Amino acid sequence: MSFFVEVDHVDRIFDLANGGQYIALKNIELKMQQGEFVSLVGHSGCGKSTLLNIMAGLDQPTNGGVVLEGREVTQPGPDRMVVFQNYSLLPWLTVYQNIELAVNKVMSDLPVAERQSIIDRHIDLVGLRNAVHKKPNELSGGMKQRVAIARALAIRPKLLLLDEPFGALDALTRGNLQDQLMRICEESKITCVMVTHDVDEALLLSDRIVMMTNGPEAQIGQILHVPMQHPRHRLEVVNHPSYYTLRNEMIYFLNQQKREKKRKSKKVVAIARHGLEKVNLDIGFVPLTDCAPLMVAKEMGFFAKHGLEEVTLSREPSWKAILEGVASNRLDAAQMVAGMPLAMTVGFNDSPPLPMVISLVLSRNGNAITLDKDIYDQGVRSLEDFAALVKQPANESNESKSHTLGIVHSTSMHNLMLRYWLASGGIDPDQDVNLAVIPPAQMVANLQSNNIDGYCAGEPWNSRAVHEGLGVVMATDLDIWAGHPEKVLGVREDWVNQYPQTYLALVKALMEACEYCDDRRNREEILALLCKPEYVGSIPEYTRPGFIDAYNYGRGEVPRSLLRFNQFYVDRSNYPQQIESLWILTQLARWGITPFPKNWVEVLQRIHRLDVYREAAQELDFPIAEPDRLPFALFDEIMFNPDDPLAYLNQFAIAQPIQVKEINLDSMATVAA
Amino acid sequence: MTIQTAAGVPSSFLSNVSIYLQKHARKLVAPVIGFTVALFVWQVFSTITKALPGPIEVVQQTWDPFIISPFFKEGDDKGLGWQALASLQRVAIGYTLAAVVGIAVGVLIGAIPIAYEAVDPMFQILRTVPPLAWLPIALAIFKDSGPAGIFIIFVTAIWPIIYNTAVGVQQMPQDYKNVAKVLRLSGGEYFFSILLPSIVPYMFTGLKLGIGLAWLAIVAAEMLRGDTGIGFFIWNSYNSGSLSEVILALFYIGVIGFLLDKLIGYFASFVSTDK
Repeated sequence: MSFFVEVDHVDRIFDLANGGQYIALKNIELKMQQGEFVSLVGHSGCGKSTLLNIMAGLDQPTNGGVVLEGREVTQPGPDRMVVFQNYSLLPWLTVYQNIELAVNKVMSDLPVAERQSIIDRHIDLVGLRNAVHKKPNELSGGMKQRVAIARALAIRPKLLLLDEPFGALDALTRGNLQDQLMRICEESKITCVMVTHDVDEALLLSDRIVMMTNGPEAQIGQILHVPMQHPRHRLEVVNHPSYYTLRNEMIYFLNQQKREKKRKSKKVVAIARHGLEKVNLDIGFVPLTDCAPLMVAKEMGFFAKHGLEEVTLSREPSWKAILEGVASNRLDAAQMVAGMPLAMTVGFNDSPPLPMVISLVLSRNGNAITLDKDIYDQGVRSLEDFAALVKQPANESNESKSHTLGIVHSTSMHNLMLRYWLASGGIDPDQDVNLAVIPPAQMVANLQSNNIDGYCAGEPWNSRAVHEGLGVVMATDLDIWAGHPEKVLGVREDWVNQYPQTYLALVKALMEACEYCDDRRNREEILALLCKPEYVGSIPEYTRPGFIDAYNYGRGEVPRSLLRFNQFYVDRSNYPQQIESLWILTQLARWGITPFPKNWVEVLQRIHRLDVYREAAQELDFPIAEPDRLPFALFDEIMFNPDDPLAYLNQFAIAQPIQVKEINLDSMATVAA
Repeated sequence: MTIQTAAGVPSSFLSNVSIYLQKHARKLVAPVIGFTVALFVWQVFSTITKALPGPIEVVQQTWDPFIISPFFKEGDDKGLGWQALASLQRVAIGYTLAAVVGIAVGVLIGAIPIAYEAVDPMFQILRTVPPLAWLPIALAIFKDSGPAGIFIIFVTAIWPIIYNTAVGVQQMPQDYKNVAKVLRLSGGEYFFSILLPSIVPYMFTGLKLGIGLAWLAIVAAEMLRGDTGIGFFIWNSYNSGSLSEVILALFYIGVIGFLLDKLIGYFASFVSTDK
C-alpha cells in the first residue's frame, strides 16, 4: 500500500559547537494517508518542531527522508505550506497583499481575475472581510493567525503543516479557530500535520496523535487513533465514550515523559546501609483505601524500623503507570493488582515475559461493582435484570446504546471479577458490553458524565458514587469471592536477586504494617492519613464505609456490616497462595489477556517466593501459613480443581479462544532494562 | 463626519486652529520663551564684552541684502539662499551616492557573514576618520574642490548607512526567510518583496544619521577649500570682518540641518508604516 506522506527512518543530528553531537530525532517512522490529520505531541525539546521543519523541507534529515506522493522532499515548497507559530506575516503588507504575494507566486499561471477571486474567497473563509486592507500590526493575534491560515489554504497545499498554530491565543479565540480549522480541513480534505501542546486540541482535530518521547534521541513513543467520525463537533467529541480514555492516555504519556526527564536529571544511586543493599526505595501506589499498608509502613515507621530509611512512596495515576514504572526500573517495587505480576511474567500486551516475584499479599477484598443510579432506577436490581437490559434488542424507546463499564486495568481483579460476574449472568463481557480502562480516581467523573454505565473498582470510589447519589453497588467481592487476593507487593525478579536483604526487609516491614492496619483500633488514625492529599485525598464520609463503618450499597437498605471488606492481615491474608494465582491465570487466559502457561507449576513456583515470606514471618515471630491445595469455588459454586485448571477453563461457555503456551522463563531471566 | 457648507469651512477651520492652539499652547509658548531668554542673554553678553555683535546688531547689519533677499546676485556676491543651494547640491549628490552604495554594501555584508567579517575591521577604522582628514586625499584624487566636497560627504555619510542596513539584514526574522523559502520566491522577488521592505526601518535610521553627518562635513569642507557654498560664505565673511553675516549663516546652517533631518524622518514614516 502506498502512502501519501512517508517519514522514513528520519534521524536528525546537530553538530555542537564543542565538537560533540546532539541527536534530536532518532529513527522516526510515520506514514500518512491523504486527508488524514495527525498531531505531534510531546514536551518541549522533543523535536516535534524539528520533525515538522524536516517535513516542510526547511531542515534536512541527517539520515532517512520524507516522501510526499512518491517524491522525496529536498527543499521547501508551496505544496507543503507551513502555518508558523508566530504567524510569519509580512508586516508591511495588508491582509490582502500577504495572501496575494503567495497566490501570485504559486498560481502565476492563472488569470488575474481568478487569482483575485481565490484571495477573496479565502479571506471570506476566515471571516476577515472587514480587515482586508489592514496591516498585521492592526490585527489581534487570532486575526493574524487566520490570515496565516488563509494564506496557507489559498495556495492549495498538498500537505498543511501547522506549528503550534494556536499556542499564543486566548482560550476563546483558540476555540473558535480550532472549529474553523476543523471545518476547513473537513471541507477541503486537506492532509495536515500539527504540532501542539494542547491535549484537547489534538483530540478534537486529529485522526491520529503521535506522541513523542523526550529528546535527546526523541522517538515516537505511542500513536493514538482517535476513532471519532468526521465531521466532528466539539461537544460530541467531548462526550464520546472514548474521549476521556484517550485523554487520560495522553496525559499519562506526557506525565510519564515528565517523570522520565526528572529521573534522567537526577542519577539514582543505591544507598547501602545497615547490611541492606539499598535503603532508598521508590515504591509506587495508586490512591485507594487499600494502599493503607504502604502508607502505614512509612508513616508509622515500619520501613525505618527494618532499616529502609529512605523510602519514597510515589503516587501513581493508574495501574498502567505502576506496571511501566516497575518494568522500567523507575520504581523499585509497587503495590500491584494481583493479576499484574502474573501477567507480566507470562507476557501480555505484546511485551515479552518479565519475571516477577510475589512474596506478600497486601490486601484482600475491598472492591465493588457499581452501576449507574439511572440504570438502578430503571428497575435493575440484580445481575439477571442487568443481563435483560443489556441484551434487550434496540428499539425506539432505548436509543440502542451499548453499555460501557469501567475497569481499572486488564490484569486487575476488578476486571476478572467483573467479567466472571457478568459471564455467570450470561453476559459476554466482550460482546454484550464495552469495557473501558479508566484509572480508579476518574471512575466517578466518568459515571457522572455518562461515559460509562458502571464500573468495578476499589474504595473509596464506589462509596463516593453512592454518597453522591450517582451509583448503586450491585455486588462487593464478598458476594463473588470472599477473601480473594487483591493487591500484592510486586517486584522484578532480577531486582530481588540484586537486593535480597532489602527485599526481605521490605516484606517484613509491610507484613507488620498489614497487621497494624487490621487492628480496628488503629483504623480511625489510618483513615485520617488516607484522607491526606498526598495519599488518597478523599473525604472521610465516603472513605469510612467498609473500612470503619457499615457498607452502604445505596439501595435504601440499612448499611451492612462487612468486617472483612478491607482485609489486610487476619486469616493468613498475607500468604500468597499459589492456587489463587492459578485461578487468576485461568481467568487471564479465559479473556484472552495472556496465554495460559503450559508449565504453570513452574511459572507459579518461580513467581511465588514463599521462602521469603516464611523467613520474614519467622523473624517477626508471626504465625507461618502453609500452602493450601484444596479445591474451592466462587459464588456460583463451580469447583476449581487446582490439579486440572484446563478442565476448569474449558467448561466456561462464555470465553475467548484459549491459548496455551510454554513460557520459557530462563531465556528472559536476565532481561533487565 | 459632518457635512459642511462652503461658508462653514473657514469658521470650522478657525475653530480647529484655536482648539489646536489651546491644546498645544505649552508646546508653542515654551520654545518662544526659550528663544527670547537666549537672545536676551546673547544681547547682554555682546553689550558687555563687545566681542560679538548682539542679535539686534546682526539683524541691522544683515537686513539688506542678506535677510530680505536671500537670492540676490551681484557678481561674486551671492545671497545666502544661493550659497545654501550650492551646498545642498553637493550634499544631494554625495549623499545619494552614499545611500546607493551604502545600502548595496550593507545588504551584501549583512547577507554574507564572511564578507562582513572580511570588511568589518577595515570599516571600523575608516569610520572613525574625521571628515576633514579626507580633504587632502580627496583634493589629490579629484584636483578640484567640487568633486572633493562630494567625496567627503560620501565618505562621511556612508558608514552609518552601511552598518544599519547590514544590521537590518542580519536581524531579519527567520520567519520572513521561511515564507520566502516555502513560496520559492526567486532572488529578485525575495529582494524586492521581502528583504528590502523588512530592512526599511534600519535603513532609514542609517540614512538619518548619514544626512546629519553629511551636512556637518560639507560646511567644514567648504570652509577649507571652496568657492561657493555656505561654508565658503562663512569663511569669506569672517575674512572680511563681518561677524553678523557669519552669525546669520550659522542660523541658516542650523535650520537647514534640522529640516533635512525632518525630511528623512518624514520619508521613513511614509515608507515604513508598519512600525
